[in-house]
Amino acid sequence: MFNVLLRIALASLQRRLARSLLVIVMIAMSLWGLLAMEGLYDGMTEQVIDNAIRSDSGDISIYGQGFRLDPGLHHLIDNGAEISTLLHRDARVKSHVLRLRQDGLIATAHYSRNATLMAVDLAAEDRHGRLASYLVEGDYDFGEKGRGALVGFRLADKMKLKVGDKIVLSAQNSSNEVAALALRVSGILKTNNMALDESAVYIDLARGRDMLMVPEGVSQISILLHDRQEVMAVRQKLQAELGNLDVRSWDELYPALMQGREMMAIFNLITSLLVFCVAGLGIFGVMLVSVLERLREFGIMLAIGTTFAEIRFMVFAESFILGLSGYLVGSLLGGLTLFYFYRYGLDLTMFSAGLDAFGMDTVTYALIRPGYFGTALAAVSGATLLSVLLPLRILRKARPMQAINRI
Amino acid sequence: MIFIHFALRNIRAYAVRSLVTILLLSLTTAMLVFATAFMDGSHDKMLSNAVEIYPGYIQITHPDFRAKPSLDNLIFDVEAVARAVAATPGIAAAAPRFETFVLFAADEKAVGGMLSGIDFAAERRLSRLASSRTTGRYPEDGDGNQLYLGYELARRLQVEVGDELAFVGTGADYSFAADNLEVVGIFRTGLFDFDATAAFVGKDYFDGVMAATNYATHFIVQPEDPHAADQVTAALNERLGRHYVAESWRTTMEGLVQAMLVDSIFGYLTLAVIFVVIFFVVLIYTWLTVFARMREIGVLRAVGTRPGQILQMLVAESALLALAGVVLGGMIGAGLAWYFHLHPITLAMSEEVFKQYGLAASSMPTTFAPLIILRDMAMMFVLAVLSTLYPIIKANRVKPIEAIHHV
Repeated sequence: MFNVLLRIALASLQRRLARSLLVIVMIAMSLWGLLAMEGLYDGMTEQVIDNAIRSDSGDISIYGQGFRLDPGLHHLIDNGAEISTLLHRDARVKSHVLRLRQDGLIATAHYSRNATLMAVDLAAEDRHGRLASYLVEGDYDFGEKGRGALVGFRLADKMKLKVGDKIVLSAQNSSNEVAALALRVSGILKTNNMALDESAVYIDLARGRDMLMVPEGVSQISILLHDRQEVMAVRQKLQAELGNLDVRSWDELYPALMQGREMMAIFNLITSLLVFCVAGLGIFGVMLVSVLERLREFGIMLAIGTTFAEIRFMVFAESFILGLSGYLVGSLLGGLTLFYFYRYGLDLTMFSAGLDAFGMDTVTYALIRPGYFGTALAAVSGATLLSVLLPLRILRKARPMQAINRI
Repeated sequence: MIFIHFALRNIRAYAVRSLVTILLLSLTTAMLVFATAFMDGSHDKMLSNAVEIYPGYIQITHPDFRAKPSLDNLIFDVEAVARAVAATPGIAAAAPRFETFVLFAADEKAVGGMLSGIDFAAERRLSRLASSRTTGRYPEDGDGNQLYLGYELARRLQVEVGDELAFVGTGADYSFAADNLEVVGIFRTGLFDFDATAAFVGKDYFDGVMAATNYATHFIVQPEDPHAADQVTAALNERLGRHYVAESWRTTMEGLVQAMLVDSIFGYLTLAVIFVVIFFVVLIYTWLTVFARMREIGVLRAVGTRPGQILQMLVAESALLALAGVVLGGMIGAGLAWYFHLHPITLAMSEEVFKQYGLAASSMPTTFAPLIILRDMAMMFVLAVLSTLYPIIKANRVKPIEAIHHV
């Protein structure tokens, strides 16, 4: 019987083919737009977060107690080697790096500016957060004698620095004296982490220790995990074991990025709700007319023994076929669009100045999450089912049996 | 006139369809009007905040200063520039500034920052420095080594009002410059980076200690009407000749201007997805009502009504519905724009996000621009009528005999 009802439902949709196609196209277009928008916006947000994690915070960072409020050489982590051993033993930890940092001044023969000295091990940084992938000019190298420096691209732009230019870094050392170091720019980094691009000067860790007179001790230990879901568990464990240090997850260090992610989720949800409500209204109109114009047909069916439940099933089936067809076409188009932008990215180089101001990459790669398609299927199903409730109620009240006698 | 009469009758006869169409168009128009007002308003607020806090609407520099901001490319005749500015109409205030980066040292802390020599009296009209004071007092010209310090910089240096600190830097003649300063006031603009690096002394004192008499890195100009900044810039360039160049905020803050443009583009793309669905629904509803009246159309054709006349009747009907929806939606959108223009929207959740991007704004007023609202309404009206044309034209092409027998 259900096969017969399904065939009748299909025949009804075919009879009003243009109308049915319009509804399918409407659902497909809305889904296509929503999926593309969601994947691209999420991709944009996650890229910004990923840049911050890779270039600075890691999934978790450890600081000396009080360092974040008062960054200086008197709030260092003294037992870096011990913590390294501890982290090596934890299978959840993918990598970690040790950094020494101090605020100071960068100067050329003509100009000077405030800067943040980042004394690092370049090879370890590359293994950790792929720092070398952020290089836009020059070499990812401090040179044989460690006299090179990598400079953030915004700082380089403001100082009009080029690869090979001589710079002088000055900063307070651990004896509270002002120490200076002459270096040459060996490369320029664009991490799209605004704070780093604006002020970071990466120098060799050993040379930084000499300059700042810090033979041991580090300012920050940045940790990356194999699975980001483990952040809270690892953070709690580390905090318990290193009670005198400040252990922070990336979202505590970059609350604005977390808020940005939450805002984007709310924005996507509101847009999706709005679109599916309106699409539901479109399906409702078609189903209402479809039911009303077939009152006599339904009356005859009831007269020959079809139950109202079977008619209800038929109307639901019509609505569901429309919704499912639209969903399949929309998902296919949306999926293909997302795959294209996942693979090749959306190139917004023409707006690079604006994207740089927001710390965003000029090429945005879309995300493809199975959840997009699952949520869309639930939303389309919900919209198609809800949109036939009122037409069915009207159908029941209209007494189709009596409609047989109407002209 | 008769077509309007018929159209009105049909609108009443298909009340549900008419109501849904009007409501959908109202919603769409209200959304567009409000979204435009919100985007324009929030962007204006962010830009005006960013411009007015310190950078100013127009800057005059040596032609090579932007490309190479060295001490060789200063304004070496401040008085000549001041005379050119004074002779240019449309200018409310102007003053020279000299910005340089130095190392500040206080007790056990040393931090790099920007030390600027400014005209404190003139800055009251050029920037928001005076109104951003949190503690102490706003200095006056002739105060000597009295320092007006950014809140975050004061925190990093661990100094308060009344404390002394020293600076080390390079004078305008490349000489070594150093002196002791006394903190008399602390300001907080809300722009984290600015508050973390900026400090100000009187230009008269600065000129003496930095050997910068009659020199400036740039001149800041406040036009009487900020919207006329580009015209005033052009007039200034005519007077300044080739020795100096005036640039409006659109050039000096190109990144931020472009960032707002990118934000608008993504905003309109999202609206476009919603609008596509809404116009599909309008199209579907028009389709349903036009084809429901196919027999009526056939009879009208059979009694001699020309296709053009039927087209006029149906288009008049769509236009009236579109007009009603657009006017209602425009009024709702305009009402919201007006209300939130007077009572700005507070985005407490976004405060951290804005701070991260250097945008000191947590409350966003919408703009209320009647001409823009009318433009949006006209656009929605045209789109709404266009979206109904396909079913109208298609129905009008059916032969009278087929139309009469249409089921």
